[in-house]
Amino acid sequence: MDQIRNRLEVDGKKSRTRLLELKVNGETFDITAKPRVMLLEVIRDQVGLTGTKDGCESGTCGACTVLVDGKPTLACITLAVECDGKEIRTVEGLADGDKLNDLQEAFLDQGATQCGFCTPGMLMSATALLEKTPKPNKQEINKALEGNLCRCTGYNSIVDAVLQVSDQGVKAKMQ
Amino acid sequence: MNELRNVGKSMKRKDGPDKVTGRAVYCQDVKLPGTLIGRILRSPHPHAKLISVDTSKAEALDGVKGVITIDDTEGIKHGFVETPRYPADQEVFARDKVVHVGHEIAAVAAVDEVTAQQALDLIEVEYEILPAVFDPHKAMNEDAPEIHPSHPKVADKEPFSNIGGKTETGWGDVEKGFEESDYVRTDRYESHLRTHGYLETQVTLAHWESDKLNVWTSSMGAFNKRAKLARVLDLPYSSVRVHKAYVGGAFGGKVDLYTHEYAAARLSMLTGRPVRFTASREEIFSAYRHGQPLIVELKTGVKKDGTLVAQELRIINNGGAHRGSGVVVVFLAWGFTMAPYRIPNLKYEGYSVYTNYTVRAPQRGHGCPQVRFAIESQLDTIAEEIGIDPIQIRLVNAREPGEELPNKDNVHQAGLIDCIKIANEKTNLLEKYGRDRKSPPENSSIRRGIGIGISAYMGGTLIYPNGSGVIVKMNDDGSAVVLTGAIDIGQGAETVITQIIAEELSVGMDDIKIIASDTDTTPQDIGAWISGLTYVTGNAARQAAHNARLKLLDVAAEQMNVLKDDLYLEDKEVISKSNPDNRLAYQDVIAASVANHRGDTIIGEGFWRTMRDEPHHPSLATTKGRWTENYAFSAQVAEVEVDIETGEAKLVKALTVHDCGFPINPALVKGQIDGQVSMALGHAFMEEIMTKDGYTLNPSWLDYRMPTIHNMAESDDADVITEKYEVGQSYRTKEVGEGLVSGILAAMANAVYDATGVRLHSTPFSPDKILKGLKELERQKSA
Repeated sequence: MDQIRNRLEVDGKKSRTRLLELKVNGETFDITAKPRVMLLEVIRDQVGLTGTKDGCESGTCGACTVLVDGKPTLACITLAVECDGKEIRTVEGLADGDKLNDLQEAFLDQGATQCGFCTPGMLMSATALLEKTPKPNKQEINKALEGNLCRCTGYNSIVDAVLQVSDQGVKAKMQ
Repeated sequence: MNELRNVGKSMKRKDGPDKVTGRAVYCQDVKLPGTLIGRILRSPHPHAKLISVDTSKAEALDGVKGVITIDDTEGIKHGFVETPRYPADQEVFARDKVVHVGHEIAAVAAVDEVTAQQALDLIEVEYEILPAVFDPHKAMNEDAPEIHPSHPKVADKEPFSNIGGKTETGWGDVEKGFEESDYVRTDRYESHLRTHGYLETQVTLAHWESDKLNVWTSSMGAFNKRAKLARVLDLPYSSVRVHKAYVGGAFGGKVDLYTHEYAAARLSMLTGRPVRFTASREEIFSAYRHGQPLIVELKTGVKKDGTLVAQELRIINNGGAHRGSGVVVVFLAWGFTMAPYRIPNLKYEGYSVYTNYTVRAPQRGHGCPQVRFAIESQLDTIAEEIGIDPIQIRLVNAREPGEELPNKDNVHQAGLIDCIKIANEKTNLLEKYGRDRKSPPENSSIRRGIGIGISAYMGGTLIYPNGSGVIVKMNDDGSAVVLTGAIDIGQGAETVITQIIAEELSVGMDDIKIIASDTDTTPQDIGAWISGLTYVTGNAARQAAHNARLKLLDVAAEQMNVLKDDLYLEDKEVISKSNPDNRLAYQDVIAASVANHRGDTIIGEGFWRTMRDEPHHPSLATTKGRWTENYAFSAQVAEVEVDIETGEAKLVKALTVHDCGFPINPALVKGQIDGQVSMALGHAFMEEIMTKDGYTLNPSWLDYRMPTIHNMAESDDADVITEKYEVGQSYRTKEVGEGLVSGILAAMANAVYDATGVRLHSTPFSPDKILKGLKELERQKSA
């Protein structure tokens, strides 16, 4: 089964193109991809979810962070073939229809999004943190978000959003 | 009835839900079928003659659909500045010679990225290397390599080479001023090269449809982009449509026309297919525009009590290989010098010098942090020399409300004096000042210091397109659609405009939908790059809503059989003051308007422009002419920690006390402050573009250290509210989006001095400089 899924045969020759099965936000996608193709490209161009952002293509800014089997992962430097059969979560999977989840609401309450380009990656890194550590202290927050650059906010409001959603005494700043 | 419901309140962002769900569409997310991928061939040399460019092999490559060079262009120049004195000076590709590493030579469009890259490798370019120059002082020498001929009007009387432009101004008699001073000192300060750090690189998608160019591009104002694109393509403005897309940060770096935008457009016109260019992060670091390092030579004379008597400044801008915004920065540096303090005698000259670096762009603050770092550092030194404290020397010189500036601008309700006093009180600055320097803690290598810096910043001055229009269309159900050319680059423009319209029209935030930043469907707008959106576009929005409001009242008065003066608006109803039972819902008013006024569905329009009596912006060369009617003032305090063993310094705590007039949305204002404090601490301690022979040595976030969450500093603010907002009245909001990178930078320099006794004359305040300063102090002590 694995063999059939992973390698296409064209005219008796094994093609380098692979067949992958990705589960993205709970939905299964059959993907054909060359081995060099990164997960980011597959998510944005083939699955068609453009919420995950491309900021550097070199794993240095964190804007492309998605969760692969619950682990924050830089999609721009992760080969798509490595994710075959894995469960991927992106920013589009956070809300329930039009109903934002508490973390998304907290970002809005704290003014933690300005230009918004780092926001999807920030949200995914913060989601992974909160699933493991429901009441993180500031050091734990810093550690979890250290790979996500933000040029707009100075980070204060982002930390406050995580503290708000984890019920640590930070109140909404916006109405 | 008169209570403000929407402005002056921290309303949540209008674009927030889109941004936290991934639904917000940025340029990189706009997809069109059949899109070709574009790439640019760039010069590897800082200065060379182009002997030949042969694109034939690239053109023959399978999958390549178009290749263009200077020969395929219309030969029309563009420039950040385009005035009679400083005409457009830049072509979209190199002609005859390249003048910086990364200079654009050719562009290709191909079916995919790999093919596009292969095509670039097949373009054969023959160069003849020319000597290059990177130091502005060397570039000014008579025997320096000539990058461009010096600007003629400057060159006539100037002995220097490579002058892109010059600002010369002053008043009083500085020589006499220095003679009359009790204390005079001269210092030299230098700043360094930093990038903007926008997270979204520069992306353009262009699609030519028979007679219309559709463009999605990372920008700070669609109308400026349209004007420049149309001109270099030799198309009427009506043939170029710049669409809205969200922008992933800009900070000054996405104002001007870039070659990739031209190339996307031209290649789409040639191939008949959409073409996308995406700059790589490495390209942004190596070939795109950064900020402007200034050298500031500063001579200041004061009386015994600290009163400024005379100041003389000579500013040299390392202006890069084209004029860019270099001539603007040497003009602005004068403004940032004269705005906060009274200077009875001033002599100012600023040169923008061509060097073989990439072209320079505006960068948040546009010269202000460099100038305030110099002036505020020297002021602290002077205060110590003459034995007064850093608060006193600022208070005796600070501009008072109502003062007229030498350029005839008025500071109106300037809040500077309050800002300085509050900054001192809230931080106990005078109590803390000098503590660790005078009695260093014995068991620790950490020294703590505190410092203050002040600044003033203009807002909404006259630069193309000079004014903004807004249209408010009432819907049959009483809700409204707003058409505005304003672009939200993260600062919250759409939210602020919505708040103003909701307030004026007495409708809810959710009743208003915004169509923004589209050159074909929205009115012209000044753009998000001269610190004036909330003031200029905001007042246009207020007027548009007011215009609709008056129409609602006219029709309602008729329908309700009362005088207009008897009516007020509340929650989408028109109500009679004398008989509150007599009321009419907006939807009924609108229906009546359509029925009885020849189908007039209610539409309001509004326009605004700074300084309506002024024909145009002041002269960049002489500073003559008025600049703005909005000066924002601030005092910022930094508390830093310096490890005297490693030389590492960091910002621990910042306080920003500012006078932004009236904050339409206090939480958005705070967001601007926090971001600027963070950017300034990067400027002070972390960020530097390292170059050798014009090459960027650290073209990645790994090697260019931008603040991460670990470098966060505590950032507090206090707002000195000097203006008020009243429904139906124009208002004055002031700048808050970029000037606040300035005072805090100076405050950090002064705090490092306070912690260690080391006075730094150049940014960044790096460990090696601090350690060198400490060693020098040791040497002086033992000698």
